[in-house]
Amino acid sequence: MALTLPEGDLQSRLQRYLDGLGDRHGLEEAEIVGDVVRIVARKDDIPAVLATARETLAIPHLSFITVVDRQGSFELTYELMDFRGATVRVKTTIEGDEPVIGTVTGVYPTANWHEREAYDMFGVAFAGHPDLRRTYMWQDHFDHHPLLKSFEISTKRTFEGLR
Amino acid sequence: MQTVLNLLEVEPIRLLISFGAVLFLVLNLAAVLTMAERKVSGYIHLRFGPNRVGPRGLLQPAADVFKLFTKENVAPGRSDLWVFLGAPIAMFIPAALVWLVVPFAPGAVVADLNVAILFFVAITSIGALGVVMAGYGSRSAFSLLGALRGAAQMISYEVPLILSLLGVVMLSGSLSLTDVVRAQGDTIWTWYFLPQLPMFLTFYISGIAEVKRVPFDLPEGESEIVGGFMIEYSGMTWALIQAAEFASMAVMSAITVTLFLGGWQPPLPFLDLGHFNWVWFGIKTALIMFTFQWIRWTVPRLRMDQLMDLGWKVLVPMTLIWLFVTAGAMLVI
Amino acid sequence: MLGEERRAEHEGALTEPASGRLVSPDIRDEFGLETIDMNMGPQHPAMHGLLRLILELDGETVVRCDPVMGYLHRCQEKIAENRMYPAVIPMTDRLDYFANMHNEHGYCLAVEDLLDVEIPPRAEYIRVLMCELMRLASHIPSIGFLMLELGAFTPILYAFRERERIQTIFEAVTGARMMFHYIRIGGVKADLPPDIPQKIWDYIESLEDHFKRDFVDLIQGNEIFISRTRNVGKMTQEQAVEMGVTGPALRCTGVDFDIRIDYPYSAYPEMEFEVITDTAGDVEASYRVRIAECLQSIRIIKQCLEQIPEGEVMGDTGRRIRPPEGEGFGRVESPRGEYAVHVVSDGSDTPYRVHYRDPSFCNMQLLQEIVPGHYLPDIMPIMGLIDPVSGGWDK
Repeated sequence: MALTLPEGDLQSRLQRYLDGLGDRHGLEEAEIVGDVVRIVARKDDIPAVLATARETLAIPHLSFITVVDRQGSFELTYELMDFRGATVRVKTTIEGDEPVIGTVTGVYPTANWHEREAYDMFGVAFAGHPDLRRTYMWQDHFDHHPLLKSFEISTKRTFEGLR
Repeated sequence: MQTVLNLLEVEPIRLLISFGAVLFLVLNLAAVLTMAERKVSGYIHLRFGPNRVGPRGLLQPAADVFKLFTKENVAPGRSDLWVFLGAPIAMFIPAALVWLVVPFAPGAVVADLNVAILFFVAITSIGALGVVMAGYGSRSAFSLLGALRGAAQMISYEVPLILSLLGVVMLSGSLSLTDVVRAQGDTIWTWYFLPQLPMFLTFYISGIAEVKRVPFDLPEGESEIVGGFMIEYSGMTWALIQAAEFASMAVMSAITVTLFLGGWQPPLPFLDLGHFNWVWFGIKTALIMFTFQWIRWTVPRLRMDQLMDLGWKVLVPMTLIWLFVTAGAMLVI
Repeated sequence: MLGEERRAEHEGALTEPASGRLVSPDIRDEFGLETIDMNMGPQHPAMHGLLRLILELDGETVVRCDPVMGYLHRCQEKIAENRMYPAVIPMTDRLDYFANMHNEHGYCLAVEDLLDVEIPPRAEYIRVLMCELMRLASHIPSIGFLMLELGAFTPILYAFRERERIQTIFEAVTGARMMFHYIRIGGVKADLPPDIPQKIWDYIESLEDHFKRDFVDLIQGNEIFISRTRNVGKMTQEQAVEMGVTGPALRCTGVDFDIRIDYPYSAYPEMEFEVITDTAGDVEASYRVRIAECLQSIRIIKQCLEQIPEGEVMGDTGRRIRPPEGEGFGRVESPRGEYAVHVVSDGSDTPYRVHYRDPSFCNMQLLQEIVPGHYLPDIMPIMGLIDPVSGGWDK
């Protein structure tokens, strides 16, 4: 029942998160900015990095997953919070038009819907996701991913399949 | 004039005329009660309630009835049409029939049956049939759930309802409602609700459950199954279901008054109004109906398993125990 | 965009029929019983907004609950990409329409993070004041909704009476009753009208007087209320944290996570208040947490009114808001939990990407987890525990 929340003062915790993640994985960038541990990891390392954060460092909360379409590549931000002032922001970049990345639902079950949303809006496929469906858009007849920059807002084209 | 009055002496004609009068009463009562319900809820909610049509909104029921008459009756495409349309009638007729045996005043009863209590028990049980018909005929998951709940609830609450009547029958020694009222006497402390307090409470609670009102309105359960068995009804069929509900609520109050609160008897002997004693009957019935509405707008709804628990684990044992207590007391005294 | 095969490959999981999940499979085999599928919503009158729950029922017991969203989806994030920075604020009002102030606040914090602009202290106090009033205007109706879902109609009307009075205050301050567009990048739109602090004070005093009568005494001791809510929607701390639940729904399990304390923003560090927690983690506990949080909000509002400094209400953001390239984060404690905004700028007039993390959306994952095993009528109190808002989860 009882859940142990991280203790110790903020700076030492931030340092612990930075060291813990940096020691285990080859990170591209790692720094502390204010209250945030900012980490850039390689795409293939993401599930492992988040597993370390959850299981070794006991960071309990995955706040959100943001996908940014950089036209040619996709930038993913995983925002982790330890409930006591520290934030770990894991970033990665997926090259190419058909992005695929490993799922983190195994370590953070709440990622389930966040990944579904990312799949719905950007077409980012999360390999190993238990239930990868669209969250908002139609399940059938709709083959677009509306938040892509290449998606133009045009009623005629968007609803072609539905009429 | 005299010939007309003499006509009333002829039994079939008297029966027809008085039943017509009672039916008229029931239908109007439903309209008046909708109005009362809305006004009472309005006052409890600190708002006005209907106040536009007519003086102080009193013509609202008439407007409602007019609106309901002009609305279209929509039946779902896959419904079992005859069952669907028959259900409101099957619900309304039992509610109206019970009024036949309710004594309004000395001598003022349509049919003074000597087994009136049995008649009441038998007829109210039929009400469950209408609910099941409505739920089955609509062919919808929601209404089916509502009907199943309704059937289960009404059948299990029949038991404490009937058991709680037995105490009264034992005390008065008669199954006739007129005799029961006469046996209670014209003083408030000799009425049966005092010696039979647990029975009175049981009857009152299972009465609320029988007429499917909050906190026992699971067959309707508007927050999960959205009206339950009557989800598919519209226009006049819906109005008939509503009329049946209000009529059965009124009849349940009337029977409660008759059995436990002295029927037409005045609370104290000097308040006896002679032929106008039906005023007392009316006041008491109105009071009971008001408490029904008061409860409705105050408490939340029970869940099915809790409802069953209350019925079988609390009410039935309580009535059984009090039955033995009554029998023992009658033996001793 | 994606080929059919690729979709099929990744969507394989959804086509699997849910079967063999009856509560008692022996009975099914013996009598040939089946579960029934039921669609609850999207036009369900008691449902919070346009949510559709696909339920699989074994009698009255729910064996599967699958929320389907998107009936109110406006793609706010795409809209935001096509509007200038200040013009996104009125769109955020339409997100969680029971916490408009918090939505505006979160977005403005994110853009201010990008801009690095100084907010005048008076503006911070006004923001906190408005957000706490908004929290009252959201928590009190949510208690009413909970009771409405249990079948008691009266508390919702009392609750909306209070909300109406708060909205009158909002109307006097912002000019609108729901879609305020009041908190702006760099401050707030306008100073409080001179008579408003007194009006708020009077209202808060009168609310304190009858809060106990209307929302505690009427509800808390009620036997039926207790039997309907105790141990309903029961969840452990681990479950709640795993599912990403925040806000009162998390605090009712005993995790004292509150953004206002743990990730302080605006003028909250200067306020004195407690984080309310409960241990039970069921619907009744969430009700108690909401009640206590209302009282804490009243406390914060009083402190705000007492301590509010004089001065400007708008910082210097320049005439045209054009943040440098980079990204900004804003995070506030909305009445339903953690509301976060992620703004990515490419140096132009319009945001390159705006992402809203709405608590209603994240908390609703709980439904899939805790509803199976409950009776059908228990779904509604559990919805009252989560208290999602349609505009929130559908963005």
